[in-house]
Amino acid sequence: MSNTPTRKARAQADRQAREQERQAQQRRQRLLLAAGGAVVLLLAVGIGVLSAGESAEREDVPTVEDVAGDPTIEGEGFPPAPEDPADDAVVGESAPVVRGADFDGTEVTIGDPGQPQVIAFMASWCPACDEELPQVVDWVEAGGLPEGVELVSVATNHDRARPNWPPQDWYAEAGFDRPILVDDEESSVAGAFGLTATPFWVAIDEDGQAVGRLTGMIGAEQMTALAEAAAG
Amino acid sequence: MIAIAQRSFGVLALVALVIAVATFTALLTRRVPSWLPDAALPTATAIAAVATGGSLLLSEVADYTPCTLCWYQRIAMYPLVVILGVAAARGDREVWRMAVPLSAIGSVIAIWHIAIERNPALGGACDPAAPCSIIWVQEFGFLTLPTMALIGFVAIAGLTLAARDR
Repeated sequence: MSNTPTRKARAQADRQAREQERQAQQRRQRLLLAAGGAVVLLLAVGIGVLSAGESAEREDVPTVEDVAGDPTIEGEGFPPAPEDPADDAVVGESAPVVRGADFDGTEVTIGDPGQPQVIAFMASWCPACDEELPQVVDWVEAGGLPEGVELVSVATNHDRARPNWPPQDWYAEAGFDRPILVDDEESSVAGAFGLTATPFWVAIDEDGQAVGRLTGMIGAEQMTALAEAAAG
Repeated sequence: MIAIAQRSFGVLALVALVIAVATFTALLTRRVPSWLPDAALPTATAIAAVATGGSLLLSEVADYTPCTLCWYQRIAMYPLVVILGVAAARGDREVWRMAVPLSAIGSVIAIWHIAIERNPALGGACDPAAPCSIIWVQEFGFLTLPTMALIGFVAIAGLTLAARDR
């Protein structure tokens, strides 16, 4: 009798065996899961290596230093544009006069008295500018710009790491054929006109005084209103 | 290096998408396989960890500046690594009570972010520092960063719900 396991002992042995089996199954499941995870990760990296192509070390693409201009700013700068254009205190104030150049080095001036201007500050990486620029081109082609008013764009907020770099290619692809003044690396021209976000519009009358500033996508109707305000 | 990482995250997002669809199909048809509840929490932890690691890599190494909505999604995703990791280690099948609300909040923000990416006018003008409309990554034509985040949130919610179904 002493060598015969009791019913209680057999039941305990069965429980232990079941528990061991359960733990072994759990271990197998965890191993399987870890192996599956590792395979998925390796596969993802492998696909990434094989299909991503060359990395973003784009030596042939110009740097911000290559693209940025060296404009000179005369006169007092404007404060940041308020959210509501009706509250804009700079209306009637003399705008800063900026002398700079386009991407090819041709001289471009903004704010100079004697020439009413509509100035569109654009950043090539900005999706709102990307949507607005073709509308500007269409608006000009449709004759929206009044006689005697000059449309100038300021290429600003340069960032090589962002989409649509370099900006000269972006302007060319949109078919923009008006003068472009290239801002410097610090976006000083944008700062002088009180830019808070892009697109940013400034209208200047014949006396070199600001007649309005608008931030964001404005559409053809407001472009016309701004240009007519500049024309007086 | 960054291009490879982006493509790899794209592939992992596709895997997470398959997991999310399969998990919700199983939950809705009430046919959760017997192995899924045990595998769900470690898988959800891995998804949260990859999403967190990926977002840190892209902001700290690739210098992609996170916008406001990116930060809100991070706030929802980052704690999930710890919450799900602890739950997976302890076998806590009630973790869905925390994970699902966080995932739902993250999903709503991600959907709004995707809408702004697709229609920049919704986001207004571009803040020069970090506009939410900018598309830093677009793998396989549709996997932008908030799209990947949305897939991650949905997969995590589904997996934590499957984990309670034993």
